[in-house]
Amino acid sequence: MPNIKIDGIDFEAPEGWTILEAAKFLGLEIPTLCYNEGLTSWGGCRLCVVEIGKDDNTRLVSSCTYLVEEGLNIRTASRRVIRARKVLIELLIASCPTSKTIQDLAAKFGVQKVRFKPDWEDCIYCGLCVRMCEEQMDAKAIGFVERGGKLRITTPFDRRSDVCRLCGACMYICPTCQLRCDGPNPQNLVCGGCLNTLQPTCLEYYDDYMCYEGLKGDCGTCIREEPEKIKKTRRIK
Amino acid sequence: MKNLDSLRNRIIKESSSNLPCITISSGTCGQARGSLKVIQAFQDALEKHKLEDKISIKVTGCHGFCEAEPNIIIYPDEIFYHNVDPEDAEEIILETVMNKKIIDRLIYSDIITGEKTPSFQDISFYKKQYRLIMGNNSLIDPTSIDDYLFVGGYKSLEKVLSQMNSEQVIDAVKKSGLRGRGGGGFPTGYKWSFCKKTPGDFKYIICNADEGDPGAYMDRSLLEGNPHSVLEGMIIGAFAIGAREGWIYVREEYPLAVKNITLAINQARELDLLGKDILGSGFDFDIKIAKGAGAFVCGEETALIASIEGKRGVPRQRPPFPVQKGLRNKPTNINNVETWANIPLIIDKGADWFASIGSEKSKGTKIFSLVGKVQDTGLVEVPMGISLREIIYDIGRGIPDGRRFKAVQTGGPSGGCIPKELINLPIDYDSLTQAGSIMGSGGLIVMDESTCMVDIAKYFLTFLLDESCGKCLPCRKGIQKMLEIVTDITNGNGKEEDLKTLEELAYVIQDTSLCGLGQTAPNSVLSTLRYFRQEYLDHINKKRCDAAVCKNIISSPCQHTCPIDTEAPLYIALIARKRYEESLDVIKSENPFASVVARVCHHPCESKCRAGEAGKPVSIRGLKRFVTDYGLKNGLCLQTDSTVDKNKEKVAIIGSGPAGLTCAFYLAKKGYQATVFEKLSVVGGMLTTAIPKFRLPREILNADLEFIKSSGFEIQTEKELGRDFTIQELYDQNFKAIFIATGGHQSWKLGIPGEDSKGVLYGLEVLKDINMDREIKIGKKVGIVGGGNSAVDAARALLRKGLSDTVTIYYRRTINEMPAYQEEIDAALEEGIEIKFLTSPTKIISKNGVLKGCEFVKMELGEVDASGRRKPIPIEGSKFIAELDNLIVAISEYPDTSFLDKGTELQVTEGGNIVVDTETLQTTQNGIFAGGDIVMASNTVIQAIAAGKIASESIEQFLKGEKVKREYKLNRPSKYIEPLELSEEELQEIRSQIMPYLSPEERKSNFGEVELGFEEEQAIKEAKLCLRCDLETKEGQQFLEELKNEKEEARKNA
Repeated sequence: MPNIKIDGIDFEAPEGWTILEAAKFLGLEIPTLCYNEGLTSWGGCRLCVVEIGKDDNTRLVSSCTYLVEEGLNIRTASRRVIRARKVLIELLIASCPTSKTIQDLAAKFGVQKVRFKPDWEDCIYCGLCVRMCEEQMDAKAIGFVERGGKLRITTPFDRRSDVCRLCGACMYICPTCQLRCDGPNPQNLVCGGCLNTLQPTCLEYYDDYMCYEGLKGDCGTCIREEPEKIKKTRRIK
Repeated sequence: MKNLDSLRNRIIKESSSNLPCITISSGTCGQARGSLKVIQAFQDALEKHKLEDKISIKVTGCHGFCEAEPNIIIYPDEIFYHNVDPEDAEEIILETVMNKKIIDRLIYSDIITGEKTPSFQDISFYKKQYRLIMGNNSLIDPTSIDDYLFVGGYKSLEKVLSQMNSEQVIDAVKKSGLRGRGGGGFPTGYKWSFCKKTPGDFKYIICNADEGDPGAYMDRSLLEGNPHSVLEGMIIGAFAIGAREGWIYVREEYPLAVKNITLAINQARELDLLGKDILGSGFDFDIKIAKGAGAFVCGEETALIASIEGKRGVPRQRPPFPVQKGLRNKPTNINNVETWANIPLIIDKGADWFASIGSEKSKGTKIFSLVGKVQDTGLVEVPMGISLREIIYDIGRGIPDGRRFKAVQTGGPSGGCIPKELINLPIDYDSLTQAGSIMGSGGLIVMDESTCMVDIAKYFLTFLLDESCGKCLPCRKGIQKMLEIVTDITNGNGKEEDLKTLEELAYVIQDTSLCGLGQTAPNSVLSTLRYFRQEYLDHINKKRCDAAVCKNIISSPCQHTCPIDTEAPLYIALIARKRYEESLDVIKSENPFASVVARVCHHPCESKCRAGEAGKPVSIRGLKRFVTDYGLKNGLCLQTDSTVDKNKEKVAIIGSGPAGLTCAFYLAKKGYQATVFEKLSVVGGMLTTAIPKFRLPREILNADLEFIKSSGFEIQTEKELGRDFTIQELYDQNFKAIFIATGGHQSWKLGIPGEDSKGVLYGLEVLKDINMDREIKIGKKVGIVGGGNSAVDAARALLRKGLSDTVTIYYRRTINEMPAYQEEIDAALEEGIEIKFLTSPTKIISKNGVLKGCEFVKMELGEVDASGRRKPIPIEGSKFIAELDNLIVAISEYPDTSFLDKGTELQVTEGGNIVVDTETLQTTQNGIFAGGDIVMASNTVIQAIAAGKIASESIEQFLKGEKVKREYKLNRPSKYIEPLELSEEELQEIRSQIMPYLSPEERKSNFGEVELGFEEEQAIKEAKLCLRCDLETKEGQQFLEELKNEKEEARKNA
């Protein structure tokens, strides 16, 4: 069993494990997006990159596809890794600002602004649906078509598939099908991530009509309201 | 074991090598240029003359010299004929082959020296090459295995099978230092030994022929021209590694390569070189072909393997490397075509011999495809470590059309741009990586000054976005976002912080991408940012694209190139519609010296005119002259209204040249009280004193001067700064701002012995005397030193004076480097003025202090200097003496700044120029501005006018108490004119018009204007040639769209 070192922890990892599995075993958190335990690793979203190597001779590899090997020295949250992760999340938001999964990632890793033009796409081409369909549903109804900027996921020849059973597994596993809460400002690329980072901070409860989500102020967006308005609501109450 | 000796001996015996042989280059590129017709023509000619038994014809692969396709080499004399037409075939056979007479027009001649070289080996393109691999291309017929055996093919394989074991082969390859030619540069021998060491019952080898870099085609050329060399290399490799099956992954769009390699495999099988029990050695190996669909990413080895397996060509994580787990999960060794072709050489001639070629860490030769803005394009094979300069200038013979070298792009889309400063860089794997580029498969795209580096980055990003497989986010999305940012910059919408974003994004893409494509994708952006950051900043801050490429920034190249933004496309469009008055208004609105400029401008606009890329540029100056002449003839726009406001500030302008007068004109237009101080009794500066009347008639100049004066400023002549007044006195007289534009009137001296002799004159002084009708004393034999306009003008003016018998110009470089305007040089030569090029004075010979002659030395052009021009070097022992009565020195001028007050804070450079902020023309002393020749020597008229304009803007800002800052905006015409729709016939009919001139006989003896100007009909025709680049911008397209809608509407209503 190869001896490896992750974030300073010496560890004897079982042969055939990926870096990601070893890190998870040790409780070290590495963000993932195109990875799912039930499917083969794909290595497409690159969010799970870690830095391997020693001294000046280091490089970033995707931990979900890289198998542990003897003497591997891994850092899961080096400066280089974090910079890469943040830019990758920025790219993800720019392609698909409406995804809750991506917005949650942004909130978690402190991405507060996006410097790129938004594309408002529906898909980030992580390939989870394709693998789900093939590996778990044994249908192979959908796949990748074209390449580069024209890449699409679709059925063969864009026709209604004979093998698709409309099971919905593709949608179940899709990270962009779950929409974000629009919050007070649906035009914002970064949604504010209130559900993740903020504790309920409402100073006052609004009536049911006032809250976007009917949460009665649980989400914390209300704090953005102007003080006068808050006073007003108080009076109404 | 069997061997091929008996077969080879038979081939040699039976061969027709003692006959003269014509080899015709007929690769894909040759066929595209018509080589098949040439072959047919040769065959027909042989048949016709019944010479089939006496002359043999060989259709070979590409000879490498693309520029010269279709080309032929005639053996045994190795005579090289280029650009051969089918009609030449008969003549070549009868004259050259039978009678040994060389046909002059078909042999290669050097453009610069004019030297003619019949022999293939002596041609500059081939001379410095070391064609180890490509060499056989011009000797053998690729469809014949006999030809390959004849030149010693498959000897190495026999040697390996009979004398060596696999370790010895691998050791030899390791020792040779051969590195992968596909671009990565991994040592081939080590790769082989890894693959050999990996346990496995079945191993594969693959030849990677998925060549996809734009502008690189050496692999195709090898497969087409010498397929057996690749096969031999692969069989040897398979033997060394223990592979049982080989694959050649080649692009479907290389049909000839596929055809030739398939044929070669079949031939090899017949001779027991492939298949079971090769040559009786007990070694089994066979090769199959996989045809790729042309995805660039399939050049990446894991994607290539996936593609062979029938899957989507998408890369996967490495490790495991293909040598561990490759095709069908078996150990697989992948090498590039060129790498395989090197193997037989190493085995045949020995590893030590191979290792002796090349640089320390890169051994052997490399084939580069030399393309782009270079005279001789083609495939060049050179030893590693040769410098870029040698490849571009010695082999490729430099940049065509007298343009300057700017950069070279290596390694295709994954590579980077290397700037001209690094032209001496030795080319090998490591030096290129260090310079921020890569070797790649060996593409060398040469770029000249008409290439915009931001546009280049955009081009490669577009290519990569199309070719990225799309699997990983940074590559797919990252490249898209980089492209968006770069496109914004080329559209003039960039921000300075974009560059930082671009860099950060680039680093992350490099860092996190899955495969080589993504990891190297940002190289084009990073290397251009590293070496050409200023160009990016110019696009962003100044909205300038000096190469005049980025459409949405430049609008039209002519307008963008004009220092004063003259709306050339607009006034040309108006001429085409016969709206001359409006046209005149457009010209005069930006240029108070319209008629003058229409005669003497050096028209940089025409050099960038798109119509000039395929033919002659539109004669923009000629058209301007037509309109201004029309105005003068019809009394249009001769005066302007004075809007001077007595309550506004006073501004002093020193010098009444084009810069000073323009500044005064625009200040007066803005209402300021400007006063121009002139040292001489006449105004106009160099326009009056330096430009001879036959180029600029005085009535034309006076008309413009009258127009300018009518704006209402004051002129005081015979007032010299330093003699009649000081700067302090100007301030005392309540002048609030000062513009110094006194020009540069001091002639540089030659700095050779005897220059103080009587009879040595200076160009500007001679011109001044002639132009102001003063009496001059000049001898019979006059020599003029220099290559600029003042030299040529002086020569032409002296000729007209008729005092001298001969006027000769001596210039130290060639006509291509001569700074005088081309029209002027041509006119001078027509008039019978002799110009001695490559000649430089060394000593003045005088007697009793009076000039008797001058000693000159002949020069030759040496190495290229950093400016991209070849340096003149004296030829030893070539000195000669010319007897002269006068020697006129007209090399250059510099300003005299001795008049400046001692007390001022004005900073002056060593060359005598006043230091200014080039953006605003503000000097180091607040409130004093300077422009024209006093700031930058050898300025042109149009640049002086531009300086005057800028100064007027800056002075206004200064007087208003604002921050003095130059505003930049995107160039756009003030209005759009509907383009003329020309019928097919009209398009056929319209040709570039020739400006009428006085014949040399008519003009030689007088000062009448040489150029006569276009007739109306001519002008309209010429104006119709304009391509209307201004309509190509977003706004232009919008205008066309609206126009279309309007017409539609009108039709509906009707």
